Amino acid sequence: MDDTIRLRPIPKYVSIIQTAFQQAIAYRVTTLFNIALTFIWVFILYYLWMAAFSGRDIIGGFTWDQMRTYVVLAYAINALVGWRVGSQMMGTIRTGEILRDLVRPLNYCGSQLSMAAGFSIVEGIISLIITIAIGLVVLDLQPPDSAGAAALFTVSLLIGFVTKALIVFTVSLLTFWTLNGVGLMWAQQAIIAVLSGTLVPIALMPEWLRILAEVLPMRGIVSTPLMLYLGKASGLDALGLLALQAAWATGLWFFANWARQRAFNAVEIQGG
Amino acid sequence: MSTALPSLTSIRKNLRLYAKLQLVQIRAAIEYCGDFWIGILGAMLQQGAGLVFVTALFSQIPEVAGWTVWNIAILYGLTMLPKGLTELFCDGSWTLRGKVNSGEFDRVLVRPISPALQSATAIVSIHGLGQSILGIVVLWLGMARSDIQLHWWTVPYLVLIVLTSASMIGALNFVINMTGFWEPSAQSALPTMLALVIDFAKFPLDIYNAAIRTFVTIILPYAFISYFPALLLLDRDTAWKWLGLATPLVTLVVILFTSWLWNKGLRRYQGVGH
Repeated sequence: MDDTIRLRPIPKYVSIIQTAFQQAIAYRVTTLFNIALTFIWVFILYYLWMAAFSGRDIIGGFTWDQMRTYVVLAYAINALVGWRVGSQMMGTIRTGEILRDLVRPLNYCGSQLSMAAGFSIVEGIISLIITIAIGLVVLDLQPPDSAGAAALFTVSLLIGFVTKALIVFTVSLLTFWTLNGVGLMWAQQAIIAVLSGTLVPIALMPEWLRILAEVLPMRGIVSTPLMLYLGKASGLDALGLLALQAAWATGLWFFANWARQRAFNAVEIQGG
Repeated sequence: MSTALPSLTSIRKNLRLYAKLQLVQIRAAIEYCGDFWIGILGAMLQQGAGLVFVTALFSQIPEVAGWTVWNIAILYGLTMLPKGLTELFCDGSWTLRGKVNSGEFDRVLVRPISPALQSATAIVSIHGLGQSILGIVVLWLGMARSDIQLHWWTVPYLVLIVLTSASMIGALNFVINMTGFWEPSAQSALPTMLALVIDFAKFPLDIYNAAIRTFVTIILPYAFISYFPALLLLDRDTAWKWLGLATPLVTLVVILFTSWLWNKGLRRYQGVGH
């Protein structure tokens, strides 16, 4: 085979990212509404905290400036891997479309992750633009604490994306056993919203829940990136947080692949 | 269209049909036992997540804008209970968009039963049970710990409010799903988004800005299911509390508007050309 004659094909996982990207762009309005949907709770939380901060300077170690930034960015970050990615993953299993994925010489988990990345590039960029626009004009968000904090935040954000995509993927495997995908999505969404620190910063949680949230991998999705952004962890603390986050992401990757194998062995494909 | 009021026999017939159709759906819903429990669990976790936030917030401060955590519990209960009842008894409107888009709505139109009745009973979201139970518990706790003066009218008033609120939510669900008659794309997040607006009613209106307040009072009047009745129950020192008596009236207006829009929608429906 001569490389100079043939057009070099796009690397396989990149082409999956590209397809999902195009799909997300094709359904622009849906994408937009999906983002608006998450903003309803941003408004609720924003106004509640604003009322709570009237007459107080600091609540649980947060100033109003920090809390405002936290609430808005937390939702934008959690929306990076949205409802659509989860239902897409479940959909392939439920409809039996998964067969097509299985005959491809790709790691199934990897290809689903690439799909998630494609969607997130679109939804992420749009929601980021909207967040920044609203944030700057209306809500007066804080910039990152320092240039170093911004760099750490970016790294942490990427690991957080992988963490959430892997968790959503693992949960989607349960569709092999139940048809109620919506119920699964709700449960998963609720648990992630709480344990990632999206609804409320981990530091403010009741004792038992705080300990649970600090140990589990979900904190890496929202809480860790934002703690770095706000400069609430720096130096060795920050490195420790990143290391924990990365360790969890790696562990989840192996767990997801193991779970996938178990699921494939255990269950026959519907109508296949 | 005949403008005559429906006769008593036709109302009785429709009620009987409603019960039968609904029963069929309930049987279908509990057929898959595992799915049934996952649905209930998922719905309860969703509501529970909001409660975790409320607990965390109020562990830091005693009250927000003059509302204690138990006052907020009343708002939460008054929102969740009717919402759960609607999901149990009138959630079929969520299938409308799909049917209008695929043309399956043709079949609904040729049956000798009212299309509205068929649409209302098209599915039963059994997880509404979880939300209703949680709503009752939270409402009960909130009432018990909020120092509410119980009057002879308190319980009848609550029953009336919850029932009319459930009807209002059911009617509003029809309205937001009827967007499918005008913009029949296969999927749209618009109805989901509009339905989520009800979450504003879980917190006191005092905290929001004027735009949000106006929206949930006039456009999608969810404030009448929780906020205004709660003002009345808590006997707050404001004239706004008397709007708590207006809930049945607002519900009536919403229902009349819905049926007017429904007829427009039906007339607009063209099928897909089979």
